[in-house]
Order: sequence, then structure tokens, then C-alpha cells
Amino acid sequence: MATKPTKDVIDQKVGIQDTDNSLTGALRVKEDHPVIYPLSLPENDERQATPAVGQSATRSDARLHGLGQTQYIDDIKFPNMIYAKVLRSERAHAKIVSIDVSEAEAMPGVYATVTGKEFPTNSFGPTLQDQPVLADTVVRHFGDGVAAVAAVSEQVAQEALKKIKVVYEDLPVVLDPEEAFKDEILIHGPKSNTYASKVIKKGDVKKALAKADHVFTNRYKTQFVEHVPIEPHASIALWDGNGRVTLWSSLGRITLGREDISRTLDIPQSKVRMIGTIVGGNFGGKNEITNEPILALLSKKTGRPVKCTYTRGDEFVSSTIRHPFIMDYTTGINNDGKIVARKIRMLLDGGAYCSWTGTTIGKGSILAAGPYNIDNLQVESFAVYTNKTTTGAMRGFGAPQVCFAYESQMDEMAHALGIDPLTIRLKNTFREGSLSPTSQTLHSVVVEESLLQASEAFGWNRG
Amino acid sequence: MKRTGKGMACMWYPIGFTVMANPSAAIVKVNTDGTATLLTGTVETGQGALTVLGQIAAETLGIGTDDVHVVSADTDTTPMDTGAIASRTTYVTGNAIVRAAEVARQLLFEAAAPLLNVKPDQLEARDRKIQVLGFPSRSLPIANVALYAESTVGRPALGSASYNPPTVDMDPETGQGKPFNTYVYATQIAEVEVDDETGEVEIKKIVAVHDCGQPINPMLVEGQIEGGISMGVGYALQEEILFDDTGKQINPNLTNYIMPTALDMPEIHVELVDNYDPTGPHGAKGVGEPTAVPTAAAIMNAIFDAVGVRITTLPATAERVMAAINEKNAQSA
Amino acid sequence: MLVELKVNGEKRSADVPPETTLLKFLREYLDLTGAKLGCDVGDCGTCTVIVDGLSVNSCLMLAVKATGSNVTTIEGLANNSELHPLQKTFEDLGALQCGFCGTGMLMSAKQLLDDNSDPTDFEIRDALAGNLCRCTGYTKIIAAIKDAAKILRA
Repeated sequence: MATKPTKDVIDQKVGIQDTDNSLTGALRVKEDHPVIYPLSLPENDERQATPAVGQSATRSDARLHGLGQTQYIDDIKFPNMIYAKVLRSERAHAKIVSIDVSEAEAMPGVYATVTGKEFPTNSFGPTLQDQPVLADTVVRHFGDGVAAVAAVSEQVAQEALKKIKVVYEDLPVVLDPEEAFKDEILIHGPKSNTYASKVIKKGDVKKALAKADHVFTNRYKTQFVEHVPIEPHASIALWDGNGRVTLWSSLGRITLGREDISRTLDIPQSKVRMIGTIVGGNFGGKNEITNEPILALLSKKTGRPVKCTYTRGDEFVSSTIRHPFIMDYTTGINNDGKIVARKIRMLLDGGAYCSWTGTTIGKGSILAAGPYNIDNLQVESFAVYTNKTTTGAMRGFGAPQVCFAYESQMDEMAHALGIDPLTIRLKNTFREGSLSPTSQTLHSVVVEESLLQASEAFGWNRG
Repeated sequence: MKRTGKGMACMWYPIGFTVMANPSAAIVKVNTDGTATLLTGTVETGQGALTVLGQIAAETLGIGTDDVHVVSADTDTTPMDTGAIASRTTYVTGNAIVRAAEVARQLLFEAAAPLLNVKPDQLEARDRKIQVLGFPSRSLPIANVALYAESTVGRPALGSASYNPPTVDMDPETGQGKPFNTYVYATQIAEVEVDDETGEVEIKKIVAVHDCGQPINPMLVEGQIEGGISMGVGYALQEEILFDDTGKQINPNLTNYIMPTALDMPEIHVELVDNYDPTGPHGAKGVGEPTAVPTAAAIMNAIFDAVGVRITTLPATAERVMAAINEKNAQSA
Repeated sequence: MLVELKVNGEKRSADVPPETTLLKFLREYLDLTGAKLGCDVGDCGTCTVIVDGLSVNSCLMLAVKATGSNVTTIEGLANNSELHPLQKTFEDLGALQCGFCGTGMLMSAKQLLDDNSDPTDFEIRDALAGNLCRCTGYTKIIAAIKDAAKILRA
């Protein structure tokens, strides 16, 4: 019913001039020729109101979303645009002996190929720059990129990948983080597999645990999950005749993305332009570059705009995923429910490359004890390389993992001591001015308020 | 038989990067008709940043959200921004915008002051006017002042600024320090129904009470909380990437990687804690990531309340829950 | 192969390789980029369009199979002078966030309301079960559909 024009629409014979300029007056369109957008557009009061803060204003992109007019990267096309595909390793750990792209290059419809050694700086990463743009000596996880092809269509590019010959020498694979911790098989040798660690200590945990009425020891484990942004990663690169490269990318941080392009391709930042469109979901998975330097180099070699979008399979295998945590919590608590000491040891499965592990291990460790006043605390965390998909930034950076642990144990203790879960929390939570695990004075603290308000709204104490 | 249980979880979460500098810069330009343009280097990834940042700029200038056009994410034209990460956009980019808008606003005050026969520091910007503090009937429309500033005084009202949260580095041996400038807090409570013959868990209701300081846009905050909870539900009960013993993923597709659909989501009741953080832009903090943090814990606690089993490995699939129930029954037998 | 059909009331045609999906046909040959590619195997629903009154995953349908059909895409949801009530309520209630699932969501919702003018909460969730959303938790989408149903019933 919505696709039929309303009574206002008047059929117009081609060539008749419309003298009425008002938008709501004579809408001169042919019935079977839709306009690009409806001409009578509703206004939202909250967007007009002052003061602006506190208004439930409609989103500035909501209109175009609803009309299907928001331009995501994959909706953008340029004249002479070609398409790239990346060849990805089907081994979890192997030395690259040789890569032969000659047959792929010779295929009709293929414009260029690129391999890792063509990048002036073949590495990137927010803390440790241990991840190659394209692997050129070793592949460290199933899905690690080794070469790329730009061709007239996605199908031709996909076919061309099959013609790239890579000779591998298999290396032993280590998948279990506790195995990796032993350093018997090194993934980024000669470095230890333990590539990040964090310690937080205050008070005297040993003494306090010995004096506590009860000590609870529990292990909690979490799993690998994927962000699943509904829009897959996508980018387009255009290297123009002035030697300037423009990238349209679904990356969530374009300032740093420009720095990454500048560094990996060894060109000044003034020669790089990075544009972010509206992104179809990020959640942390689009906080790191993926194909951008590859497309930039392919565009330089071909003189054409080059686009590449991840398939849904690529999203799982070749974009970052959430760190699984193995968490051991030992907590000393007294009969009245007051926590007196907490000792935490955590092991993070750090995947094939570092990516955002530094932030995850840091935040996870700081938050691990929970929003509770604990004077005697020790947190020790480690992250290890394994030959699996890179673990990186994902909504919460370790917080969902540790919250699962500290709130599960809180309920364990509550149950064992016969104390209501709400009561035990209120006994221990931060207040305004409390000291955090790192001895920071906290302000604007409302955890108690949130507990009470939620309990009231839920009806916690009603039966 | 189906058994009901309730479980709660509370949490805390920081805003911004851990110790490291993570600045954002902003440029605010007031047009000669009193509308404005905001330039920000951040990226809209669905969270509503461009709308909220526009509201922050509008508030500082005393105009409406619709009066501000937001330009974002182009390294040629927008100033630097560390990125839409770590729930930092409202707080860090927002604070940069407040400061930039204040610079532009100060130019308006300096242009308007002699016209209103007061000093610039006696003025405020409200309801699309530049008016005298304590005597609002003496005012000028902001459009008039902006035009006057640019084409008579010759000093167009534009301002740029940056902001970085102040931190203190953490001691390498003890971790003591001040890694973040502010934190947010929340509690979620879940009601579940567990079928003790199949292990299936159905979530009946979730109540979520979140702190985000002063909410800039309550509707968008709610949307973030509801969305975060759906990620929490998936984390708790369904989602898992599985690897075989050669390191290959077994289920890299949406047929076999189970995540919440509209049928899996329960009734969600959202409330915000009444709060105001003076270190944040117009009292705001942030909300993006905290929303997904306590959900799984609340659900696990509710499962324990329902059937007396403690799931210590996520996700709590029906198989895992059933295995735990069977083990508990075997032990008590 | 020549594919001729009606899209949003307009006769459209293009010569395409036989393996071309309806989704690719719309996006690349007709420049109707509203329907999105999220997985290409019918799991996520971002490609949902309406073919002869039924919502379909256009990535699973060959363009040649749609020859002679009436296809409605998001570009045909609004009429020439106003937004469809679904588009209005989605906007007012903040139902979409990143918007990528939105066009598919709206087409599934339209088909539901075309067939059922007063759907229950369960019926709405069931109709949307094939449209994945990662941003919103579906809550405001469902509320917006209920509101649109009310407007359409009036």
C-alpha cells in the first residue's frame, strides 16, 4: 500500500512547464517513475528544542537509513574500479618457502598482484608491531594473508588466487594457551610466547587470606566469540596521478589509520587521505587495519580504484576475535560477608598476533577484582601467542570475562554464607571516594545506587 | 520441568584508553545565521556518535540539535581523533567539542558585549540567544551576533580545541596509578526459566540500570543498553567459535555460529541512574561497552538460582547445563 | 541472459551472467544498493526484498528466476510524497543504529504488516527471526513495528 502514489500526484505530460514552485503543491511526477526521496518530510521536535542535552533527538542518519540511502563502503563504486581478493593460509603455522604469482598475473582480467615483501614496512599493531600486512616469512594462523590479486571482477580475482603457488614448510602448531605458556613451541621465536603481562598488588594478600574466616577458590573460563558486525569489513583505495592515495574504509579510527598507511607504504601523511563513511557496526573488530595498505599498493600498481570486502567467512577467520580468559580467583571473606583479600591469576589466549591484547590485559587486570573495596589484592595476568585467529579489541576489553568471574564467585560466596546476593554486594561495593585496586580515588561512584535501583525495578525482594 | 530463577550482577568500567594519551580534537564554526558546523575526526559506527556530539556542540552554543551540521571522518578536513574505541567518544571527543564551542562562543560574547552594554563574562548562550546572566530580557538573537562578529567586527566565531583525559602512569611492579579519569557503573538482573530435562535456558526478563553520567540523548543510551544486552545474551548462552586440532575454525559462518535473533531476546527494562560527572561534557560519561559486561554473569547467577548448578565455562549451552544438572543429581543420589 | 522484471512499479531489465543472484542484479546492474550483502548465503537477512508479495533473501534467488516478477525494494517503500509509516516510526523511536540490517528489517516488517494488521509480539519476533541485528537487541525495532501497525490500522 505504501508504494502507490497518493491523490496529490498529478500525471504530467513531458514538456509542460510547472509554474508552481511550492514543494507541497503540484508534485509533478509520473506514476511509475519514483522520485529519489519523498518531498514531504516530517520534523522531529526534540531536534529543534533547546537545551539540546537530554533530548531524545532522532538520529541524524535515521532518515537515510530508513530510505536505504546511507552509503556504506560496498555501496560506493567508481569508474574503472577493480576488485581485490586476498589469498589466505590454510595452515596454522608454517614457514613460507616461496610464493609464485606469475601464473595468476598472466591470467586475463588480472591487473596486478602484491606480496608482503613489497611493503616498505610490512608490520603493524597498536602496541607491538608484530603483525604483517601480508605474511612473507611465516604464517601463524589459518587465515593469515599471504598474497593479493586485483582483477576486473571478484570472480576473476577469486579464480586467480587458485593460480598463486605457495610452498610451505609446516611448523609445529600450538593451540592450547596453557601449552603455549610452556614455551616448548615458539610462535614469534626467539621471543617467549608470553608477550604481555600485568601485575596489580596492594596490601598483603597472603597474610589476609590466612586470617580470613573462609577462602573460596574457583576457576572460570570464557570462549572465543566474534563481533559479527552485520556489515563486513570493506575498503576502497584510489592512488591518483599526484601520488596521493585516498582510502575509504570501515575502520573505526581513521587518524591512526592514516598513520598506518604512511608507515607501511613509507609515504608522508600529507599524501594520504582516509575517509570513514557510516560503518555498519564495529564493536572493536574494525579498530585495526586489514586490507587498506594492500589495496593502496594495488591501486598504485594499476592506476585504478581497488575495492575489497570481507566475506562472512573472512570476518570469523581473518578479523580479530575476543580473548578467551582462564581465571583463577582465590578470595578471603569473613562470616559477615566482607571480602578481605583477593588473589587472581589470569591467562589470556592471545592468538597469532598482539593486536589489542595490551589494552585487554591491562583493563581486564584493573577491573578483575570487581567494584569492591578490597585492601589486600594481587592480580597477575599473562597473554600468550597461539596459532589461532588474532584476538583483539572487542566490546569490553576483558571486562565481560572478569565480570563473569567476580560476580559468579560473589554469588557462590553468598550462597555458602547464607547471605542474600544483594546484601553481600552492598557490604563490599565502592562508595564515593573509595580507592580502586590501583589506589585511585574514585569520583561519581554510583554502583550502590544501581544495585538498589535495579533491585527495586525488578522486585528482587518480593518473594 | 521448567524452573524459574533470578540473578544479579554489577560492574564497573572505565572511559578512555589505559593511561596512554588518547586525545580528540574538534572544530566548531558558527554560521552567520546562528546555525553551526562541527568538524570531528571520529567515525560513526552505529552508536549514534554524530547525533550526540552534535547535541553537545548545540548545548554549548545554546542552539538546537538540528542547527548543528556534523562533518566527520575525513583526514583531509576533520581534526585528529584517536577513534571510536574504549567508550571514549562522548567523554573525550565531547569534551574537545565543548572546549572548541566555548572558543567560538567567546568570540560571540566579545562581539555582543558592547552591543548589550555589558562585559563578555556577563553573557550566556541559551535558546538561540546571547543574553545577560541574571537579566535575560537583555539579549540578541545568536544569528545577529554571529553575522555582526563576522562581517562588522571581522572576527568570525569559530574555535578549535583538543582534550585528553588526565591520567597517572601505573607502577610496573604494583600497577598502582590512575589509569582513567572516570568510570561508569551498572547492575543487570536477569530472570530465567531453565528446563531441567533439556538444560535449555530461556530468558524471561532483564532489568538493566546503568550510569552514564548525564545522558546526552536518553533514547540512544537505551538503544546501546538493549544492544549490549543482546551481545551479553549471546555470550552467555549461545556464541562460541570452535577450532579443530589443526587450528582451523569449525563454524566460521552464521548458520553454525549461533547468535541472538529477535526470538531469543527477552523483555528488557532499562533505567538510568541519576548522575552528573563534572569532568564530562555537560556531565556525561559514556555507555558503549559497559552495556555488554554484566549480562552473562547475571544469567549464570539466575541459572544457579533456578536449578542449583554453577556454570563456570561459557557459553551455558543446553548440553553444558544438562551435564551440570545430571552431575548434581548423581552426586545427591 | 536478459532478465526483465518490475522493480518498485517500474519495468527494469539487464543482461546478466546466468549465475547472478537477484541481490547482485539489484545492487550492481540496477544501482539499487538498498539491499545489502551481509553473508551471501541467506543467514543474515540484510538482502531481504519482496518478490510477488513474499519476503525473500535475494542472495539465495537467481535473478533469472525473478523474470516477470514484481519486486519491491527499500527504494520503493516510501511513496512520492511521504515516508511509509514503518520508516516514520523507525526514525522516531531510534529503531536503527548502524542501519546495515535496516533495509532488510523494514522489508520483512512490511511483508508482515501487509499480511497481518495487528501482529502480536511473538508474531513480530517470528517474522524478524531471519533478520540478524547486532546493534539494537531488536527492542526498538519491535516497538516501531507495533506503532506502525497502529498507524496503518487507523
